[in-house]
Amino acid sequence: MIEFSLQKNLHTAEGEMQLHVTAKIERGQFVSLYGASGAGKTSILRMLAGFMKPDNGYIKVDHTEWYNGLLKNYLEPQQRRIGFVFQDYALFPNMNVRENLLFALGKNEPTNIVDELLDVTGLTNLAARKIQALSGGQQQRVALARAIAKKPAILLLDEPLSAIDSVMRAQLQDTLREIHKRYALTTILVSHNTDEIIKLSDVVIQLEQGRFTRQTTPADFFRNGNDTGTLTGNIVSIDDNGNAVVLIDNRLLHINIGGKFNVNDKVKIKANEIM
Amino acid sequence: MNKILLALLLAIQTLSLWAQPKITVAVAANMQYTIQELITEYNKTDKTKIEVVLGASGKLTQQIQNGAPFDIFISADKEFPQKLAENKLTLEAPKVYAQGLLVLWSARPNIQPTKDLKLLLGSNIKNIAIANPKTAPYGHAAEAILKKYGLYDKVSPKLVTGESISQTSQFIVTQNADIGFTAKSIVISKETQGKGKWVELNAQDYPPIEQSAALLKHAKQNNEAAAKKFYTFLYSAKAKTIYNKFGYIVK
Amino acid sequence: MIELAPLWLTLKLALSTTLILFIIAVPLANWLTGDKGVFKVVVQTIVSMPLVLPPTVIGFYLLLAFSPANWFGHWLEQWFNIRLVFSFSGLLIASVIYSFPFMVHPIQSGLSSLSPSLKEASYSLGKTKWQTLSKVLLPNIKPSLLTGIVLTFAHTVGEFGVVLMIGGNVPNKTRTASIAIYDEVDALHYHSANIYAGILLALSFAILLLLYSFNRKMQQARFY
Repeated sequence: MIEFSLQKNLHTAEGEMQLHVTAKIERGQFVSLYGASGAGKTSILRMLAGFMKPDNGYIKVDHTEWYNGLLKNYLEPQQRRIGFVFQDYALFPNMNVRENLLFALGKNEPTNIVDELLDVTGLTNLAARKIQALSGGQQQRVALARAIAKKPAILLLDEPLSAIDSVMRAQLQDTLREIHKRYALTTILVSHNTDEIIKLSDVVIQLEQGRFTRQTTPADFFRNGNDTGTLTGNIVSIDDNGNAVVLIDNRLLHINIGGKFNVNDKVKIKANEIM
Repeated sequence: MNKILLALLLAIQTLSLWAQPKITVAVAANMQYTIQELITEYNKTDKTKIEVVLGASGKLTQQIQNGAPFDIFISADKEFPQKLAENKLTLEAPKVYAQGLLVLWSARPNIQPTKDLKLLLGSNIKNIAIANPKTAPYGHAAEAILKKYGLYDKVSPKLVTGESISQTSQFIVTQNADIGFTAKSIVISKETQGKGKWVELNAQDYPPIEQSAALLKHAKQNNEAAAKKFYTFLYSAKAKTIYNKFGYIVK
Repeated sequence: MIELAPLWLTLKLALSTTLILFIIAVPLANWLTGDKGVFKVVVQTIVSMPLVLPPTVIGFYLLLAFSPANWFGHWLEQWFNIRLVFSFSGLLIASVIYSFPFMVHPIQSGLSSLSPSLKEASYSLGKTKWQTLSKVLLPNIKPSLLTGIVLTFAHTVGEFGVVLMIGGNVPNKTRTASIAIYDEVDALHYHSANIYAGILLALSFAILLLLYSFNRKMQQARFY
């Protein structure tokens, strides 16, 4: 069980913003933080990791207090048992793939977890490669493998797939889902990709203007008319009855869209219509 | 644009016309206070602007050899001006204007300089300032007296070298050097009055510091008459009174 | 005519200065990188001062500070029986101050060119600040470290004004090669001056050539 309440005065490009959020997350859940950019998603992740100090509040993880604003308790990131996957991957260029993973381990820890993770993420053949010689998707896998090598209490993912092309993204989503299950992780993902959220998460938390406005399942979240969840695609074919095939994010979707569209039209589809 | 340029040129021209005649004198560092008084006295009757460049005699000689625009060279010894004469850089043979005296000086409260120099061996004296013997005649004289007294080898690890007699004096006044050798003309000047204690050393124990001056070839291109006039003044009775006042021996 | 002592002394001074500065500059540059408080800005300014100050200003204040007539020099002499002026240690202190920005700036700019997430990633993997610095940050700014080391070394070899002011031209202690050149020129010994100067010229060229070819190689290695 992870419980937190975080208060922080953020200085954003649009001026000051008061972030104040409270949530409870069950062990083993895959939680997505959803919201427009600038809403404070990354700041929440950074406060959970200990990279940013809240002004007030608390963080409790399995009955251990990581932070308590009243008692001035503050655990440094080193003591928090977190895995963090950064937007820019933050891989160490001076080490090869395997060394990046080994770096996560303590001095006398057995190294078989590294081999296992290389296998799970499909990196075994690339283990001796320098980071600079990897593609974006491969780097993403290394970052993911490294983040969980220490068996973290929480895995924090800061828009990890935003810079990767859509074919690769689908594969990585599968890997992510598999790893989450296999290692019984509690994962918090920051994303504004509806597709990704639906595919991966057990719970969606919506963040608007520094507040949590909803916490529910993705199905419920997008069914109940949340119109920020729209998908964009191109019509591949359409028949006289308005039954169309739409290409969204490299997948084909069969949907009835009515008669007023033509092939190659760009269409926006509300997420609740797909469900 | 051209008009402005012309006006500017004219202005510069006029300015330099208005400017008083000017000569440049290269002066050995031991004369740094004496020369000021000489100029003040001279300017009572002649308004010629006299610019002073201070340095160790050897250093100034080197600069003159490399074409420095000096009209007169007032050295701290005979040898350096002689060298210039041999290299045909002077207008006439250099002449001695005064004889300098070597003193031992300390600004540290608990050190009392003595004529026999024995105190230099004491452990309370960590370093001894001396002007560079290669370029400063007073440094050369100091080295000679130390050798004569059989002290040179014993004290040489303590020697710190100033590039001129001014820097040497500065080391002593700031007490960075416990004690040091300098020129009498420096310790009896107004500027250093009351700063420590000094003793005049036996003039027979070091080669006489006969200071000579030379009228330099550069004066020919500059203002020979003005330079010649000031050069002559250096040997006048009035000048001799001033040398006396600053502790030089005048014959 | 020429002695080797001034050259050895110069080498000794440059090596000691470089070593001391490296040890001081790495943690300092690390501390200066990142969020700027008012205090940090002040420290940053002080570190950069020797870049704009003439060496004579540093020489002058050190001369005053070291003098037994003033409290600092007096205190050193009373308690430790040390006098810094005209000594190798004094020269070393002066060189360290004088070359400070030449070591700190390259390291600092190297560190700030790294993504901040690199440091955070290492923290999240449980590594201490020191482990992060030595195993992650420094290995990734090798060209900057080398630049700092070489510039400091070369700058110390070329130091003149400060040495002239507080050195006192003592053989084996403060008579460095640059002072020896000055001295020989003044004494009209152009031949010896020429030898010293030639050696320094060749040394500087070799050092800088080495630096630039190494950094070029590193640059190429990044993209192989």
